[in-house]
Amino acid sequence: MSQKSHQLLKEALAKQAELNTRRLFLKQCGLGVASMAVGSILGGCGGTTTTNNNTANTLTNQLQKISNNLPHFAPKAKSVIFLHMAGAPSQLELFDYKPALAKLHGQPCPESLIAGKKFAFIRGTPTMLGPQANFQQRGQSGAWVSDLLPHFAEVADEVSFLKAIHTDQFNHAPAQLLMHTGGARLGRPSMGSWVTYGLGSENENLPGFMVLTSGGYNPDAGKQVWGSGFLPSVYQGVQCRTKGDPVLYLSDPKGMNRAVRRASIDAINQVNQLTHQEFQDPETLARIAQYEMAFRMQIAVPEVMNIKDEPDYIHQMYGTEIGASSFANNVLLARKLVEKGVRFVQLFDWGWDTHGVSSDTALDIGLVDKCKETDKPVAALLKDLKQRGLLEETLVVWAGEFGRTPMQENRNGVGQSYMGRDHHTDAFTIWMAGGGIKKGHTHGATDELGYHAVSGSQSIFDVQATILHQLGFDHEQFTYQFQGRPFRLTDVAGEVIREVIG
Amino acid sequence: MNKFSKMNNPKKVFFRIPLQASMLIGFLFLLAQCTNPTNKIDFNTQIKPILNKHCIHCHGGVKQNGGFSMMTREKIVAPTTSGHPAIIPGNSAASEFIKRLTAEDIEERMPFEANPLAQKEIDLLTQWVDEGAAWGVHWAYNAVKAIEVPKREKALGTLNEGITSNWAKNDVDYFIAEKLARKDLAPSPLAEKPTILRRVSLDLIGLPAPKEVADAFLRTENPITYQQLVDNLLSSPHFGEKWASMWLDLARYADSKGFERDPHRSIFPYRDYVIKAFNADLPYNQFIIEQLAGDLLPNPTDEQLIATGFHRNTTTNDEGGTNNEEYRVAAVLDRVNTTGEAILGTTLACVQCHGHPYDPYEHEEYYQMMAFFNNTRDEDTYADYPLLRMYEPEDSLKLAQLTNWVKVVENEERADEIVHFLKTWQPAIYSLESDGLVNAALYDTKFLGFRQDGQAIIRDVTLTGKNKLIIKILNSKKGGQFTIRLDAADGKKILDYALPPNNREHPYLEIPLVATTGKHNLYLQYENPLLKDASEMGFRMDWFYFTKDFPGKHTADYAVQEQHFWDLMKARPPTTLIMQDNPAERSRTTKIFDRGNWQSHKATVQAATPKILNPFPENAPKNRLGLAQWIVDKENPLTARTMVNRLWEQLFGNGLVKTVEDLGTQGDLPTHPKLLDWLAYQYMHDFGWSTKRLLKEIVTSATYRQASKVTPMLLEKDPYNQLLSRGPRVRLSAEQIRDQALMISGLLNPKMYGKPMMPHQPAGVWNTPYNSAKWIVSEGDEKYRRSIYTYMKRSAPFTAMETFDVATRDVCSARRIRTNTPLQALVTLNDEGFMEAAKHFAVRLKMEVTGNTTEQIQAGYQLALGKSIEKEKLAILENLYTTSLISFQKNPVAAKTMTEGLDIKENIASIAAMTVVTNAIMNLDEFMMK
Repeated sequence: MSQKSHQLLKEALAKQAELNTRRLFLKQCGLGVASMAVGSILGGCGGTTTTNNNTANTLTNQLQKISNNLPHFAPKAKSVIFLHMAGAPSQLELFDYKPALAKLHGQPCPESLIAGKKFAFIRGTPTMLGPQANFQQRGQSGAWVSDLLPHFAEVADEVSFLKAIHTDQFNHAPAQLLMHTGGARLGRPSMGSWVTYGLGSENENLPGFMVLTSGGYNPDAGKQVWGSGFLPSVYQGVQCRTKGDPVLYLSDPKGMNRAVRRASIDAINQVNQLTHQEFQDPETLARIAQYEMAFRMQIAVPEVMNIKDEPDYIHQMYGTEIGASSFANNVLLARKLVEKGVRFVQLFDWGWDTHGVSSDTALDIGLVDKCKETDKPVAALLKDLKQRGLLEETLVVWAGEFGRTPMQENRNGVGQSYMGRDHHTDAFTIWMAGGGIKKGHTHGATDELGYHAVSGSQSIFDVQATILHQLGFDHEQFTYQFQGRPFRLTDVAGEVIREVIG
Repeated sequence: MNKFSKMNNPKKVFFRIPLQASMLIGFLFLLAQCTNPTNKIDFNTQIKPILNKHCIHCHGGVKQNGGFSMMTREKIVAPTTSGHPAIIPGNSAASEFIKRLTAEDIEERMPFEANPLAQKEIDLLTQWVDEGAAWGVHWAYNAVKAIEVPKREKALGTLNEGITSNWAKNDVDYFIAEKLARKDLAPSPLAEKPTILRRVSLDLIGLPAPKEVADAFLRTENPITYQQLVDNLLSSPHFGEKWASMWLDLARYADSKGFERDPHRSIFPYRDYVIKAFNADLPYNQFIIEQLAGDLLPNPTDEQLIATGFHRNTTTNDEGGTNNEEYRVAAVLDRVNTTGEAILGTTLACVQCHGHPYDPYEHEEYYQMMAFFNNTRDEDTYADYPLLRMYEPEDSLKLAQLTNWVKVVENEERADEIVHFLKTWQPAIYSLESDGLVNAALYDTKFLGFRQDGQAIIRDVTLTGKNKLIIKILNSKKGGQFTIRLDAADGKKILDYALPPNNREHPYLEIPLVATTGKHNLYLQYENPLLKDASEMGFRMDWFYFTKDFPGKHTADYAVQEQHFWDLMKARPPTTLIMQDNPAERSRTTKIFDRGNWQSHKATVQAATPKILNPFPENAPKNRLGLAQWIVDKENPLTARTMVNRLWEQLFGNGLVKTVEDLGTQGDLPTHPKLLDWLAYQYMHDFGWSTKRLLKEIVTSATYRQASKVTPMLLEKDPYNQLLSRGPRVRLSAEQIRDQALMISGLLNPKMYGKPMMPHQPAGVWNTPYNSAKWIVSEGDEKYRRSIYTYMKRSAPFTAMETFDVATRDVCSARRIRTNTPLQALVTLNDEGFMEAAKHFAVRLKMEVTGNTTEQIQAGYQLALGKSIEKEKLAILENLYTTSLISFQKNPVAAKTMTEGLDIKENIASIAAMTVVTNAIMNLDEFMMK
């Protein structure tokens, strides 16, 4: 066990002890003390600290189960940044180099690839579509990365590529749900919810699970991909916005200055103290604490969401622009959030659905633009985390919800004006970096057309199991009792992908 | 050696004597009863929880490690992999099951790789095996029997410490008092009048009591009684608006379809049905029958059809490239699961993939239940068919005239058929049901469209007696020719028709068919030489309806009535989703899905209900109606208990069984099993399934009316108030918090029913791909309607309420887990809607209350909380007012901004300052809690 891991485990155990103390304290109900409780339950209180032992939240359900779910073993990663390219990027133009496919370009698809297969849009016999980008081997590892990602190419040695991920959902919404909640239907908690349920936040003034979106739309599956499902709603992701309030309802009402707000929260809490004296309900103390926390959040969130004070070289590195709503800004914010102790940062960038039904979904137009928007900030994130010494404890995951076919799409059985690929579930590429993941490694491979896996085929559940593992959880033990049975993120499947663990 | 082993030594001697096992068990029972009659082990309460917690994970239905399963009595005594049974009834010492609990070798000891069981648990298991390892049916699977109310003298005799012996108000209290006494606790005294008034009003109508009701109850002279207060609230139209919320969470009601595009869905009439049903106190058995099978009742009313929206609230997926059958099946499975969770309080979903590791339902039984739901006409169509088209009054009149006329010129049957079609467009065949597509496609995954020389097949159409085809078309380009052939691409032509170009006003075609008989596969063909190339789509359609000539051809009114028919077809009345079954000749068979995978089929099953529960009623049809009758049969052990428990949870914050969604073996045990059963029995037998009567029984109990003060002793002995040693004090629901703010500020618009409305919400929350719908704040006072009427979009719920734990309505949600978070504080402190309420509340105080600021604040507190303010609290709020006033006087611009939108000319700073105070009042703990 590395020193780092020791440290993390120690912290986790310390927290468990603290929680138990709090629980015991509350059980004994030394609640006559009317002093201010400052613990927070936002995003899971497992990770919050208290200045005294008087946090009264235990009577709310969310706290009761937490201590069962602290890490099962020493975690490698403290936090996660999940970069989801919503719409599913084409692995064949980015990472999975298939020269043989170029030779078949324009030929009818061999029957063996389509017999008995169901596609979202391909009908009848499509033609093969060669790679629409040039590839080179990069760095010491010699990983293939296309010219569409010149900046990422520079950090290819930092990541592990998983080139044969498979899913069983070929539509966006269900595939995104599967990726983030372990189920293709609505109703289950998202990965970030599970993680904050288990670990809480490191920062008592910020939510443990925060979400940033770009690309013009919410992800296809809606807010459920950061929902808390059957977990208490306190674990749902809190969306940070780059327009309007950075977190909904954060700003004081128009015309109310900070001094008046302070006075009003003081008055509310003073009255609540009297109410507590009368009813002795611990819930009232919790409410007092939450109002204090709300006041602090009103300062803490704008602070962390403000990128003005970042030095110029950082802006250049990420390609950020102050005041813009962009993926680049979101990536920089993600770094700031994990730096401040946010446990799980989820980014969704919409617009990767390159069907070739319009120019913005064409492999040679729309995809190129999406790469331009995202390449620099993604590379900058890895470099920046590394230079700050954060990469080792931050797991970065880059993925779409599925991959794309080596065939040209022929929607409704007719030809299309642009080059585009349909949804493909059998094998696609994602990458992981930092947080104890191997550097400069490739796991899994596809056949010469990039269609089937030939080695290292891994499921979405395997990816989830691996993420949880890096955070110190045994995905089979990390459960929540609901509807009469223990539920887990990975449902009834999943194996940790040991090959990519450093 | 523990004491039980010693005690059991003599039994070992008996065991060596070759007795029949059964005799032995019987003998041991006798022995146990003789020696220790009161301490006989009860399987359900003493053993099953231990097995559930420690054993069945590895020795259950899925995993049967070592060949040992603890699922049934048969299995526990069956030989394991070792060749011997692990449990020898009557002989713990010979039972491997017991030996392993205390094994020295950690590899041998059970539970495997876990801490050993507590000695007490080991003792219980040992005694249980020695007593014969008797099995028992889980309490919730036994029918509800009449329960005797605990002896009054006994229960009351235990009351002490200032609680007089007339504490009890009704029978509920004797059950509570009995248990409190056993725990050495006394109940709390009754809450003061203002407190109970606020509690019971928020509970029954979801709002503070209307002023006149409150005054009548609180006045010192000749006040109305508490019973009268309760009756008054129960008869308020707001009652249904409150209780519908609970039901709509179960019914997963929403105004959008879910998934990627998450488009609008018009099903609000179902929401209104639920409100009306609660208000009318529709007996719960009837309520269930109408929702599950209203369409199968004889001559169903429109309301009964609307009720079937219950199971049409399932999500559908309009995302391009989806498989329509996949989502149809998903909806059907959801209906099975929701029926279980919402109505039966049991988790059927677990046996979808394999036998349940916990509850005694079989894998096969899940699909037998599915068969009840698998024959419906919904198929993930874009329009969410089948719908009820709810004609406006003028058109209803036309429909009535047409109906009467058809009855005269033809007959009643034909009239019913025509009316049914006009009202539902059923039984249509959807174009997405076609297959064998050549030069054709399901455009946008939902609509059959033809290109040049296009062909598609519709299967299994019975044509006997049909000579007309009505098609609902979406596009038709000039020059198209449409043909239908029987059973082959070159089969007999029964239709050949030159298609007119589209007519948006009249999107229907009525085409004559060559008369034929029998069931056929129809080959639909299309050609159009005017199409510009092979990729152009020329003809796209929604559905087909095979019928016969419009009746009364040679009668006088024929032309008028036929015109009525087409007018009614073209009308675009409001619609709502309803349930309809397939006609018999197109009914589906149901197959078991291998490991729950909908594409992998095993044996065919017939509709049936789980064997462990009550028998299917004789003479009940094997369809949804029969299922509903089985559910509301008084022998059904789950239905009444589930509802009673749910209502109790709404009032007290916790159910008598805490896991309201699951009364099964994995659920919590009831805190007051006898009370639960007594209430369930009363509900079915004495109250005639009247929900209002049941609620009245509960809220008029002393138990409900207790003060909710917590003392250190109560907190120690009853921290979660499970013993009901005090009145409920729980946070209000999202709906109650918003509605209460609207009511006290005077903004509340009491308008009932109708289309959903949109209150204030920050911009940018709705941002769904492929859906341009926008959240547009409702105009005028429409936005101040009660929260139950708020637009519920699944992928982006109304944020202010979402923060307060509102269910997202994707799937059945039996319980909202209450949280307490800083984000909630931010909503009530800063949200535009809550601020608007605060502003109007401030104006109300300033304008309507004569007197000084102090009196205005007193009045504000009184209005908000229904009681007068204590001196200390008043001082704090006065102080806040003064601080704010100074600030606003110094900064008139801020005062102006703060009061924006109010129609005021003077006293701006003081109204702004009062707004700060009213905003604070609406954030008090007392305001958030009941």
